[in-house]
Amino acid sequence: MATPETIAEQQALHGINADYAEKYGFHDPENYLFKAPKGLTRELVAQISAFKNEPEWMLEFRLKALDHFLARPMPTWGSPLLAGVDFDDIHYFVRASEKAERSWDDVPDDVKKTFDRLGIPEAERKFLSGVGAQYESESVYHQVNQQLETQGVVFMDMDTALREHEDLVHEYIATLIPANDNKLAALNSAVWSGGSFVYVPPGVHVEMPLQAYFRINTENMGQFERTIIIADEGSYVHYVEGCTAPTYSSDSLHSAVVELFAKPGARIRYTTVQNWSQNVYNLVTKRARAETDATVEWVDCNLGSKLTMKYPSVYLMGERAHGEILSIAFAGNGQHQDAGGKVIHAAPNTTSNIFAKSISKDGGRSSYRGLLEVAKGAHGARSKVVCDALLLDEASRSDTYPTIRIGEDDVNVGHEATVSKVGDEQLFYLMSHGISEEEAGKLIVNGFIEPIVKELPMEYAVEMNRLIELQMEGSIG
Amino acid sequence: MPEIIDICAITELPPGSRKLVEWEDLEIGVFNCGGSLYAIEDRCSHDNGPLAHGDFDPDTCTVECPRHGSLFDLRTGNPKTLPAYAPVDTFPVIIDDDLIKLEVD
Repeated sequence: MATPETIAEQQALHGINADYAEKYGFHDPENYLFKAPKGLTRELVAQISAFKNEPEWMLEFRLKALDHFLARPMPTWGSPLLAGVDFDDIHYFVRASEKAERSWDDVPDDVKKTFDRLGIPEAERKFLSGVGAQYESESVYHQVNQQLETQGVVFMDMDTALREHEDLVHEYIATLIPANDNKLAALNSAVWSGGSFVYVPPGVHVEMPLQAYFRINTENMGQFERTIIIADEGSYVHYVEGCTAPTYSSDSLHSAVVELFAKPGARIRYTTVQNWSQNVYNLVTKRARAETDATVEWVDCNLGSKLTMKYPSVYLMGERAHGEILSIAFAGNGQHQDAGGKVIHAAPNTTSNIFAKSISKDGGRSSYRGLLEVAKGAHGARSKVVCDALLLDEASRSDTYPTIRIGEDDVNVGHEATVSKVGDEQLFYLMSHGISEEEAGKLIVNGFIEPIVKELPMEYAVEMNRLIELQMEGSIG
Repeated sequence: MPEIIDICAITELPPGSRKLVEWEDLEIGVFNCGGSLYAIEDRCSHDNGPLAHGDFDPDTCTVECPRHGSLFDLRTGNPKTLPAYAPVDTFPVIIDDDLIKLEVD
């Protein structure tokens, strides 16, 4: 019997029929206040800092990071597609509006129309505690539920946070991901712009998610947002991010840095539905620190982009801290999803799970890359790593690169990995029950990813299923 | 059994300077933070790469690992930033008759 929830889900599914090009792949005319010429120079880095009226220490941070970026070679591990990134062919800073507005009415018309078309203002009214919308390099809109604001919850774009909460930003920024952590983190540190800053006071539970939506509009764009979330003692917050871009024939680059701080007893859930167009390199560094009795969960869904390299990590620094990484990757023709996660057990009695599911079709490639580390002294640590891959045809590829380092005897660690192919028997079984071949393929894929999709809020689960359906169209038979 | 080793005359290590020394299979960095002397093992706890020749800030008494950017407090050996999370070994510094000496194990 259909429940109201399933009816709503079906209606939502029926209501959206367009493919990526129609739904997300459009682009707006460019009425920008500033668009940097292609290429990265010391002058441009200084100019970005000056545009934003930043304090001297931030300019120094940026310039030092630029030196790190220039000195570091491109990583040689990961994907061969990485060699295609052309750092000279990118616009590193594009400003679309004066500031992050608190009312949609004040957002420039073209930009507002885009977010209307993506359904963001409507989602804010219906089921979100706050919304941030970033267009090109900077936020154009940021708003948080007034009741939460009176409880002391801070949710604003990072540029505003640097002005209004400079001490907090200075205290936390780059402490989990230093500028010199890796080449892409160095690049982000040099040219970062936008992103979210969230602070949740002790004991406050933000019941509905905060959402940030990232949109690239121009061709050969580089988007480098920087996000910091601090959940103070005993608090809870769920942050959701989504992203799309127009379909162009040349490439763009998205390279974010995200740092999460879960204080004792706090819980942070960070959900990503990554749906960049297939001309975007998505090279992101995400790291979290969980203190005593704290929990950090990364729910990481990667559907779009040409190449994604992203391994959200959790450092379990306090006793009984818990880390959870749920990862879905969907690689179609021309795509490489190199995703996974890392958990470091640095304290006793800490627990973690990494569940990764990947689907490859039409010659797409998905890779699971993960690290599980238990430090000496982290006795009583428990962890389970499960990575499953589903291949839909002979041309597709799946790889697994798990690393496990155990420095303590008294631990319980499990690792399971499976690779399966949609078999003729499974299809035949379902088709013998009157289901078409295409429907049968969708059912198998949906069943495969269901354990992770069910962790998403209902609205995103619907979106995820719809996206998977779109990706699956014409894939069988 | 701890051993005391000579490093250099105190005049050779003025405030804001550092010196790298070797003892048996150990490599050690000795730092002068505004007149206070500290010594740490020249090995980052993150990936065992060399640490002591990284950026040294005498004001905050820290050194930054040149490989991945972890910042270490020279007074305690504790990392102030990830990706390192474990402390590096520190060694007591002794001033004896204008000579800097280290106690090593």
